[in-house]
Formats: sequence, structure tokens, C-alpha cells
Amino acid sequence: MDVKVPSLAENINSGTIVKIFVAEGEQVQKDQDIVELETEKAVAAIPSPVDGKVTKLHVKEGDEVQVGQVLLSLSEATAREEKQEGAGESERHREPEKERAEPPSADREKKETAGSEEEEEEPQAEEGSKADAAKAAHGPPASPSVRKLALQLGIDLARVRGSERGGRITLDDVRVYIEQLQRIALERTAKIPTRETRTLDFARWGYIHKQPMSSLRKKISEAMVASWTSVPHVTQFHEADISSPVKFIEKYASQYEKSGGARLTLTSLVMKALVPILRKYPTFNSSLDEVTGEVILKDYFHFGVAVDTEQGLIVPVIHDVDKKRLLDLSRELGELAEKARQRKVSLEELQGGTFTISNQGGIGGGHFTPIIHTPEVAILGLGRAEVKPVVRNGKIEEATLLPLCLSYDHRVTDGANAARFVRDLAEEIKNFKEDEVKLDSEETIRDKETSEKRQVRKTKK
Amino acid sequence: MKSAKTEVVVVGAGPGGYTAAFYGADKGKAVTLVEQDKRLGGVCLNYGCIPSKALLHATKLIREAEESKIRGISYGKPQINLEKLKDWKNSILERLSKGLTTLGKTRRVEVLYGRGHFEDSQTLRVETSEGQKFIQYEKAVIAVGSKPAVPKAFDLGNRRIMTSTEALELEEVSKDLLIVGGGYIGLELGTVYATLGSSVVLVEAMDSLLPGIDPDLVQYVRRYAESHFREVRLKTKVSEMATSGNQIKVTLEFEGKEKVDYYDQVLVAVGRVPNCQDLGLENTKVKTDDQGFIQVNEKQQTSDSAIYAIGDVTGGELLAHRASKQARIAIDVMTGEPSTSADIVVPAVVFTDPEVAWCGLSEAQAASMGIEVEVVKFPWSASGRALTLDRADGLTKLIVEPQTERLLGVGITGCGAGELISEGVLAIELGATAKDMAETIHPHPTLSETLMECAHLYYGQATHISKKAKIRK
Repeated sequence: MDVKVPSLAENINSGTIVKIFVAEGEQVQKDQDIVELETEKAVAAIPSPVDGKVTKLHVKEGDEVQVGQVLLSLSEATAREEKQEGAGESERHREPEKERAEPPSADREKKETAGSEEEEEEPQAEEGSKADAAKAAHGPPASPSVRKLALQLGIDLARVRGSERGGRITLDDVRVYIEQLQRIALERTAKIPTRETRTLDFARWGYIHKQPMSSLRKKISEAMVASWTSVPHVTQFHEADISSPVKFIEKYASQYEKSGGARLTLTSLVMKALVPILRKYPTFNSSLDEVTGEVILKDYFHFGVAVDTEQGLIVPVIHDVDKKRLLDLSRELGELAEKARQRKVSLEELQGGTFTISNQGGIGGGHFTPIIHTPEVAILGLGRAEVKPVVRNGKIEEATLLPLCLSYDHRVTDGANAARFVRDLAEEIKNFKEDEVKLDSEETIRDKETSEKRQVRKTKK
Repeated sequence: MKSAKTEVVVVGAGPGGYTAAFYGADKGKAVTLVEQDKRLGGVCLNYGCIPSKALLHATKLIREAEESKIRGISYGKPQINLEKLKDWKNSILERLSKGLTTLGKTRRVEVLYGRGHFEDSQTLRVETSEGQKFIQYEKAVIAVGSKPAVPKAFDLGNRRIMTSTEALELEEVSKDLLIVGGGYIGLELGTVYATLGSSVVLVEAMDSLLPGIDPDLVQYVRRYAESHFREVRLKTKVSEMATSGNQIKVTLEFEGKEKVDYYDQVLVAVGRVPNCQDLGLENTKVKTDDQGFIQVNEKQQTSDSAIYAIGDVTGGELLAHRASKQARIAIDVMTGEPSTSADIVVPAVVFTDPEVAWCGLSEAQAASMGIEVEVVKFPWSASGRALTLDRADGLTKLIVEPQTERLLGVGITGCGAGELISEGVLAIELGATAKDMAETIHPHPTLSETLMECAHLYYGQATHISKKAKIRK
């Protein structure tokens, strides 16, 4: 018989022979892998449908093959020949029944990509070698209309348990199977964080205390799982030399303090520095619409700031960072952070963010890998700035270095852009202009400030 | 040079081709149907199933009248007007073919009469009576069918050596007829000619008639042939044929010994070959096997992505209804609807006297594939209806998968087996078990009861046959 390329998967009609495991003249057993085929979806081995001897190979490694193309020819079943010889029968006029070379390759492919866990949970058809033989010859027992439906839905009826006499599969059986598949799929996404720990009795090993999760904690937990499991994260590390901006902060901190109790911090300074960089690399200030496949670029700059509170992480949003002076920003940041700690942030103040900053510097963290605050596509983590020796023009000098950690959604942008982004951001911070920090004359600033605030309110309405 | 555009071109207007064309049109495709013959219907309608069944029916009465004697009813010797018989037979073909033409017209299928030849994977040249026409198509369906195989040694250009095509023309019913080939064509036409008065000798190279079919089903046909033909010679080969005056001199070889006979006519029915010659397949990517049949997958796709092939030209069982089913599969696949020939049950009927019909797995296939089956047989001698018809020469059998009791195969020999087999096809298609068939009421007294009784027999509980009951869960 000829072994042909089986139907591989929905819409996959061709593949490339990666490897041939057998040679002409070799004996092969049923289900022994004969070739390995690479399609655009996966690499799958194709098993021999019968016992036999390879009489001819019709393909070679590297060949592009189509579904239905003959891979190799087998002279069938030495075992049977032996049996015939033993029984003294020689009559064998009849053409061997035209068998179909149809290993369930779609399943194989699924198994290889999905791992073994799936097999345990998926509803299985009854096993049994005799039943399998009949199924191989006839397919699972089901009426033509049910078979057609299964074909349309891409369901392998061999995996469906038939409820009627003789294992006959009805429309209801297919429905039950689909429901099972859906349930398994849903459980799989929902169960991940707790499944294992819940079953363990930790009291066996010592005293334990139980603490209910706060609703905020649960929210954070859900949000983190959602972001972590749905967004491919990459975190880009860098360091910015903040020797000069640090001096500005030292120089102007007290002036800011006097101007309405604003606290000039590295966070607000970096927020200002981020605006031109996000203008230059707008994909980092965007969201992805997975349904339409569009990247939504935003012309506004509303930055979330991660605030550590007793109950857990809260991220209030400062709107229109680009339109605000540093003094303004610093004051608002201080106010919002305080509101967050008191759990007094309004829902509005938590929404609309386009980018988030998480500064662990105050606590003393180094580099870390922040999780993206979806539906944003990037988050910037700041570590603790430290004075380190750096080599410049052959001399060792002191520099204050700030750890930068940019996590981004790799679906939307790539590493090269992230590298450019952090490189330019480090330059921007390093060369932050004193003019931007300096308070010219308190009056003019106040005027400007109030007029801007009004403008902002108007646009909000 | 004219060049017309069409979405689907179907080459060949037999049961496969016209079904593909009509179904394609029903699904909204612009279809051109190309037929090299003067009318639609292909071999089935013009030179095969239909004329042979007409002649078998017409001659059946002669056979029945003869058998009627023992029941106390006698008729005189039949008067046979061969011309009138031919006219009647041809009128059926004419009527059916006209019907097809009308069915094509109402569907706006364009029909081109002429020989089709592939220029490339997108162009078909058609040699019409008005000259060459070129059709630019998106998809093509090859349904050119098959023709009787005539070994070169038999091809003497002598009209007395016939294939089924000539035999069905009924030009002459001579005294001594040799039939080469004990397959269904040889047996069906042998029955017609023997009834019309020929003295038939049938030779078959294999050791049984209808090779490939379970012997228990064939036994009644063998008995019929042995009693109605002058002679049936198995394991006999024709080694030579030569024209000898008004006769054909035939050298037969049996167990190494040669024998020379003279016949008025010879019917060669040794198989069929695909009509792939001069089709221009070499200009496409279509591949054929070593016997010249077009290779297709279970979606009826050839190795050329624009070209599908269906029916006899793809080899396997050469059956009209199989071609029609494949036509629908090809059109479904072409129009994006999932479909496959992988799981279809194809019944087969031999219209001998008695008829032989089967579907699904045969006993022999089960054995060769190593599938464990249980076989139950109900002889028609136990059927009241068969006896009232005076046709106890029949057998119904079921091939059952023992673990699940699922019906895997059905075989029937007996008068009307061709009509009875459809119940078996439906049962297998529906995945029915022996129990399902046993518990379904069959009307009494009919031959269909034999199927139910056979299913009861599986459980050892048939009413009209005694067998030790098996205890089954």
C-alpha cells in the first residue's frame, strides 16, 4: 500500500519533510513514526498505518509535500504472510482492500503542542484494540448528519463517547463533548493560582494563621494574573546618570516646599522627562485592541504612579503631564499619593492612564521587573539611585546612577525599540534642564498654574 | 480562437459528471459541462447500467414463464422481435438523456459537446463540431469514466468480438457465444443472451465467479449460470483468438492443456480501463497510478490544486452511485464545505438472477484486515415470502462487530437484493447495531424480513430458524 500525507489540520495542506526515519527495505510496525513533517503550525511525526516493509521511498528530506501525496510504499503485513504460510493457504487473489493512510495526525499535533496535561482531562472515547480496529476501518459509529457536523466543527468523533447502543454517537453526545471542552478550557484559565495550594493542609507541619484577602488584594491578584498571563512581558534594564538632576532637586527642594508644600522628587522629574521620549516612541503610549488588531496611539499623557499603601498597591493617575509644570506635577503627585494611602482616591483619578511609573527608590530596591498595568503597554520601574564609580575619559569618576526597568508588551513593540527608548530616556534625564526645575517668579507660576487648571477642567467636562 | 471563462468545468457527463455540474450550479457556480458523446448520461445511461437493466427486465419474463410450468401455468414459446426490443430499450435511453438535458438547461449549465483536452491547469480545449473552443476555468472536475478493457490479442477488428458496449446494441443474437470474464458484466449479459437463445460458454481465469465477493453470496449465481449456460469454465484463460470465416477460433487454456473452440460471437468482459488517454493530463499536475487511474485524496482533489477527479477514472470500485457521491464531495470541498469520502458506505449490486448485493465490510475483507467479526446468515429457504415467490435461492447475512454489536457489513443474494440492500446501507451509515435492526418491525410477508430475522439470529432468537440461543447482555 501507499502511505500518503494525511490531512494535517484545518487549512494546512502542505508541509516540509524534516526527517525520514525509515529506509527502503526496512520493516516498520504499525504506529511507528516514519517521517517527521513540519507545517506552519507544528512539527509532527507521521506514523505507519500498518505493519509492513518499506518497498519504496517517494520523498526525501527537505521535500515540500501536499496532503494526499505518497510518502512511501509498503508491502503489507509480514505477520499475515507468516500466518498464511503456517495455515497452508496460498490463495490471495483479491486486491487488498484499499486502506486509507490516515493516522489521527491532527490529534498528534495537538498533543505535541499542548503537552500531556490535556490528555488526562479531555473526555476520551472508550478504548479497546478490537473496537479500534473496527473504527479504523469504519470510523466511529454516528449518523452521516452527525459526522458532517463534526467535520464542520473540526471535532474528532473518535474522542467523543457515544451514549447509544454500540457506542453510537448522537447529536447530544457531540453537544456534551463540546460543553466538556469548554468547561475544561474555562477551568484551566481560572484555576491556575490556587489549585495546588488549596489542597494542601499546611497545619500538618506546624501552626498556621489564616488571613482573608482584602478586596483590594483580590483585585490586585486578578489584575496581575490577567496581565501576566495575557501579555508577553519583556523588561529592559538600564541606568541613568542623575548626578546633575539630583543637584537640582537638592537645590530647589526647599523652594518647592515653600510653594504650596510641593515635594520635588525624582518621580515627578522623570515623569517630565518621559513626555518627549513617549512623543518620540508613541507605541509605548498606546493600547492594543485585540479584537480589531489595532494599536491605539494616544496623544495625551496621563501617567499612573504606583503607590504603596497599607492595603496594597494603588495606582492613581496624573492627567496631562505634558501640560503641567514640574512644581504643579510635584504638588499633585504628593496630594494624590496621600489620598491613595488614605483610600480616598476617586475612581476618576484611577482611570485613563497611558503609562505607569513605579518608583521603589525610596524603599531601596534595585532593578526589578514590573508588571504592565493593562491595557497600557509599558511601565517604567525606578530603583534606588546610588553613587557609583564610572570610567569617563580614562578616569574614574563619581556618578549617581538610577536603575531604569522598562517592561513592555512584546506584541506591540520589540526589544530594539525598548533599548532606544531607555537609552534616550537616560539621556533626557541626565541632561534635564535646570530651567525646567527653576521657579522663575512665584506670581507668574501661580497665574499660569491656575489658568492651566481651568483649561484642564474644561476639557474634562 | 475563442476563449470562454467559467468557474467550474466538468469533463464527462456520466452520473459523476452531470451530478457535479448540476450540484455545482445549484450551489451558485457558473458551470460548463463537456461531453464527447452525442448525448448526456455517460456509460451508465447509454452503454451500461440502464440498457443492461432494460434488457434484463425484458428477458426476465421469458425466464419466469419457463419456470412457471412446474407451478401448473404454461405459456407458448416467446416470439422475439429484436428490432422492437432494441427500439424499446433505446426509447428509455432517449427519454432519460432528454431529461438530463432539460435538467441542465433549467440550472443554466452550459453544455459543450466535444472532446476535452487540458492545455494547462487553467485551460481546457474542446474539439467541437464547430471547431476548437477554449475554456478558462477556475476549477475542473475530471469525470471521464472508464471503458471496457480489450487485451491486444483479442483486438482483431472483428465485429463478432464485442465488448459490453456492442453487446448492449443487440445487433445479433447468435447461436454460440463465448463470454470471457466471470465478473458482473459477463454474468449479466450472459443472462440476457442466454435467455434470448444463445448457447453461452463462460470462461473465467480465477477459480470463482464474481471474484472478490464472499463465496456464500456467489453460490446461487453460480448455480444459475451452470444450469442456464451451456458451460462455465473456471481457471480457464483465453490464449488466442483468430477470425475463422464467420466464426471466431478461440484457444482456451485450462490447467496447462489447450482446447480449441469455435464461436459465432465473443464478449470480452475482463475489466475496465480509465479514459485518461489524450486528455492532456501531462499539461497539468494531475498524477495517475501505474494502471492509469487518476490519484485523488479523500476530498477528490488531484495533485493539481485546480483539478478534482471523481468516478471510474479514479479507480477503486467502478460504480455510478459512487461517482455521484464523489461529485457532491468534490463540489462541497470546492465551495468550502467540509466533506470527505473517507467514511462513506458504497453499496454494490450485481443484477444477475438472483441478484447479489452487499455493502460495508465483507467477510473476506474482515479476515484480511484482521478485524474480528461475527457473521450470521439467514437462508431464504426459511422465508415465507421467498417460497411464495418460488425463490428460495437466496441468503441474507450480517457482519457484526461482536464487542459493540454494531453492523459492519450486509450481504444479500436473492431476487430483489438490489432493492433490499439500501436498508443495510442506511443501517451502517447510521451506526446501527444488530439489536436496532432486530427490534425494527419489518412487514410480513416480505423479503425484507430476512434482514430482521438475521439480526434476531445473531441473538439466537430468530422465529423461523432454530439455533441454540446465545445469552447476550
